[in-house]
Amino acid sequence: MSSAVVKQADLSAGLAKPRRGWVAEVILRTVRDVGAVIGLAWIAVVGLCAVFAPLLANTFPYLVKTSDGRLISPMLMHLKPSDVILLVLAAVAVALFVLLRRWSTRLRLWLFALIAVATVSLSFLFVSPPQSVVYKEYRLMQARDEVAWAVYPPIPFSPSDRLRDITSVVHPTPPTWSIGEQDPTRLTGMTHWMGTERTGSDILSKMIHACRVAMAIGFIATGIGLFIGILIGGVMGYFSGIVDLLGMRLVEIFEAIPVLFLLLTFVAFFERSIYMMMVILGVTGWTGYARFIRAEFLRLRGQDFIQAARACGLPLTSILFKHMLPNGVTPVLIAASFGVASAILYESTLSFLGLGLVDEPSWGQLLEQATGAGGGFYWWLATFPGMAIFLTVFAYNLVGEALRDAIDPHTQKTSN
Amino acid sequence: MPDQSESPIIEIQDLAVSFPVPDAAGRGRRFNAVQRVSLSVYPAQTLAVVGESGSGKSVSAMSILQLIPTPPGKYESGQILWRDADEPASSGVSTDPDAHTDLLKLNDKQMRKIRGNQIAMIFQEPMTSLNPVYTVGEQITEAVLLHQKVNRAQANRIAEDALEDVGIADPASRLKEYPHQLSGGMRQRIMIAMALACQPRLLLADEPTTALDVTIQAQILELLRTLQNQKQMAVLLITHDLGVVAENADTVAVMYAGRILEYASVYDVFQRPMHPYTRGLLKSMPMLGKEADRLPTVMDGATIPDDFPAGYTVRPHTLDPNPPGGYGGPDARLYQVEPNHWVLCEPAPGNTTAKFTPPRLDFRRDAAAVV
Repeated sequence: MSSAVVKQADLSAGLAKPRRGWVAEVILRTVRDVGAVIGLAWIAVVGLCAVFAPLLANTFPYLVKTSDGRLISPMLMHLKPSDVILLVLAAVAVALFVLLRRWSTRLRLWLFALIAVATVSLSFLFVSPPQSVVYKEYRLMQARDEVAWAVYPPIPFSPSDRLRDITSVVHPTPPTWSIGEQDPTRLTGMTHWMGTERTGSDILSKMIHACRVAMAIGFIATGIGLFIGILIGGVMGYFSGIVDLLGMRLVEIFEAIPVLFLLLTFVAFFERSIYMMMVILGVTGWTGYARFIRAEFLRLRGQDFIQAARACGLPLTSILFKHMLPNGVTPVLIAASFGVASAILYESTLSFLGLGLVDEPSWGQLLEQATGAGGGFYWWLATFPGMAIFLTVFAYNLVGEALRDAIDPHTQKTSN
Repeated sequence: MPDQSESPIIEIQDLAVSFPVPDAAGRGRRFNAVQRVSLSVYPAQTLAVVGESGSGKSVSAMSILQLIPTPPGKYESGQILWRDADEPASSGVSTDPDAHTDLLKLNDKQMRKIRGNQIAMIFQEPMTSLNPVYTVGEQITEAVLLHQKVNRAQANRIAEDALEDVGIADPASRLKEYPHQLSGGMRQRIMIAMALACQPRLLLADEPTTALDVTIQAQILELLRTLQNQKQMAVLLITHDLGVVAENADTVAVMYAGRILEYASVYDVFQRPMHPYTRGLLKSMPMLGKEADRLPTVMDGATIPDDFPAGYTVRPHTLDPNPPGGYGGPDARLYQVEPNHWVLCEPAPGNTTAKFTPPRLDFRRDAAAVV
């Protein structure tokens, strides 16, 4: 009798549901959403640009064959440690998580962490680009006919290459395709798809390199916020009582901090640094996540499987972060996708106010130059970075919405 | 008394657990959810704790594993004596008090070594007792890896064996499934497999079959009995189903209003119930072949037996669980009124020999059938 029941259960389970975890189910449902696909595609483009920026837009050619027969790669020679780290880790990530899916997840994660640590330390030790970068070096070599042939990146300008050696036009100049052949602002033989900015640098190159700042500030600021929020929210929700009471007051205190003014104050008193911005955005942005996690944990702590986990003798950390967190993290992930968007907006706002980063290109910094000192309006400096900011924030919102729909069972019923 | 040389594997003595209650005045009042609860379970014995909802069954069981959240709960008094695991159950004479551990005195770290390892628990609701985001195998092996010195592959083997023990076909592929892919009966089997994977010496089963339909109920109980006999495991079975009690229990403790009213072997409780409440409870059961328009209520049948042992007085059952003076009277305790029968009553005036003895009954129905 018992085996008959088992067999029946076997059949119904086998037919009704494919062997797929809930996480995989949610990912699948999210990916079915058209908006999410568009959003993810755009985020992927920005991500690829961020990783491969030095390969996409660089003054230095990939390969140069000099007329005296030497074969050199100026681009590789000029890679910074951060470039090397990003490229290596991207390659390792693809190898581990796409090609070697047979290996256990735990092993792959450990390997990735190990390689990451090794790459970071080795890169800072051994990758040493020239202290002073002379952008015109290879252009001059070519002019002097010292180069047999050279392979250039698709956009042969570095973001800080001001092209002083080949042009004396007043910058900024509009995109090359928008002006006539005889226009005095046309640069000799150079194509600038999005024009140039005030200092003479190529805007497209700057846009591509600015993807790094956008991705980094979005993810790291949100990551810091998530870490603090999950920790504090989890403890509040699990212990409740007096811990919860004190924790919620802390949340309210942090919610009362005006983030933009705090950022402005710090920029005014200390040097401008992207890391400082990340930390401030993270340290002030955790409250929303803490609220979500607290609410979820308050619900989960009474659940039978948490009681069962305690009765199994599992330690507190395992109950909190292995059993409760995966069950309660979804609303936080939705909030986090909006949080990434808002962090990018904050950075753009600061840059637009002229208080952003100095060394690194960023979208807001370009946007700021759209209105010139002389009162002119340079449409290309408003359109392209503005579109990039808009599309990125919009993409994160689309993904967040799709995630919410995929997780919420109510919307699921209506869509079927 | 049967074999006094063996001692119970677990013995609860005079346990009281309180919770705060919102008072009309505002604050400060605490209510004892269980009080003066004394119990014992012997190896390979099944003790059934029966009672209404809120009678303190689950609180007593959860206290054993210190699963009551403190605060708001508080262990007011009592001891929970656990016979040390290193000592074989059948080692004969051993009444050495050092062999006991008071579970209520253990800190969280020490308690975690007991939980799941020596004392396991299965819950009422199999649908929600498994974590939905992990596969069955991950959940079983996590517990095994925690308590036993084995590697991942060995833990997997143990999990497979455990699933096979509870009658699940094709355990290797079942381990890779998520709880939502399994039926209720299957999930309860998995819960049992999970609880038994570490070879506990005591299993707390908190209404393990309430959420299941009747045929599955029978299978699960049968399975529990078989496994109990195989592993010589003690079982504390919490239920409000008297049919389940009659078929599975060796000894029975009847609870009401946070107290134990009667404790005896399953035969004594069903054939010679002594406490008015127990009598009322048994009378109110529907009988096959006996027609009745209305079933008697517990109150209707709650009579005091004429032959109640001299020297003790038992008060009538009241619907109010907390009458002035307390349920059963101010001096009511669980007295051993007959050699193998404990009843909540007061010693009659002039009874100087009434002595409180801890309720211990080393009775097993199979052994009784042989003798």
